[in-house]
Amino acid sequence: MMHKISALAVTLLFSAGVFAAAADNVSVQDPYVRLAPPGAPATGAFMVLKNAGDKDVKVVKAENSLSKVTELHTHVNDGGVMKMRPVQSIDIKAKGETVLKPGGLHVMLIDLKAPMQEGNVVPITLTFDDGSSKKVEAKVVRPTAPGMPMDHGKH
Amino acid sequence: MSQRILLAIAVALGLLVIGLGLFWNPGQPETTVSPRGGDFTLQSADGPVSLSAFRGKVVLLYFGYTYCPDICPTSLVRTAAALNLLKPEEASRVVTLLVSVDPERDTLAHLKEYVTFFHPGMVGLTSSQAEVAAVAKQYGAFYAKHQTGSAAGYVVDHTADVYLIGTDGVLKERLPHVATPEQMVAAIRERLSVQ
Ligand SMILES: [Cu+2]
Repeated sequence: MMHKISALAVTLLFSAGVFAAAADNVSVQDPYVRLAPPGAPATGAFMVLKNAGDKDVKVVKAENSLSKVTELHTHVNDGGVMKMRPVQSIDIKAKGETVLKPGGLHVMLIDLKAPMQEGNVVPITLTFDDGSSKKVEAKVVRPTAPGMPMDHGKH
Repeated sequence: MSQRILLAIAVALGLLVIGLGLFWNPGQPETTVSPRGGDFTLQSADGPVSLSAFRGKVVLLYFGYTYCPDICPTSLVRTAAALNLLKPEEASRVVTLLVSVDPERDTLAHLKEYVTFFHPGMVGLTSSQAEVAAVAKQYGAFYAKHQTGSAAGYVVDHTADVYLIGTDGVLKERLPHVATPEQMVAAIRERLSVQ
């Protein structure tokens, strides 16, 4: 009985978001990995990160098994010059969302161990600043142009 | 009296037209470099390629590199989508060239395989560092190697515009990285219609 009550209390606390881990507050939508052209050693993973909690959350690390290295990156458009740079973390504001998309923030898969196939699923683990983590299943998608019928961002 | 006003308006309009003609140049890129374009010869997996060989065709010229994980694929996918929107008889008069600004890592064979992934008609070109730099300068493209300290080794920061060269071999305009396939098609058609 005691057990049940404490379990209930924990559940209530969690649902109130008081002690909820970042991983519980963050939901991931439309994750995908862009199919790397033949011979290209790296590619990006993109997704929408939503934070339902009332605390800002940071993604501090990403890992996957398909590439030797996984990094968090962004692109800076410096007067027309596109510069890709690693970032320490990706912020998701409380009750907000952060979009990882081509030309901007992305999870970078570097040194692919084997050529990837369209339709493969890449498990990516995101680690948050409170130490909690979340596994994301990202499908490998052939790149398409924005606004085209196959555009991945438009569904 | 009203005639004077009319005359004043006419003069003002005339000055405006002259001013626009002098200073308003929509095709001019915004950077400090003013590219003149012009002919060049670079290497492809199938031998040397000169721009002058494509006289009578519209040429889309892009500077990038195959290790480019995001920006180049995005641009090339857009370009390929534009090519696919053209009618076959139009597409047959359009050539797309990717000049690799990373000859250190991009072999010709690799480059060919890379561009073909996006569109069968694309041609991958490169050459020595010096020759690539000369062509980039000619067109006002900028690139610079940057050590990120990441496992990706170095990245190459670069401008990501598409240079549109008319059927006469002359650089016409610079399409921004964010140009949609539809905007590219409109620009290509405009140049195709000029013989
Ligand atoms: Cu990256």
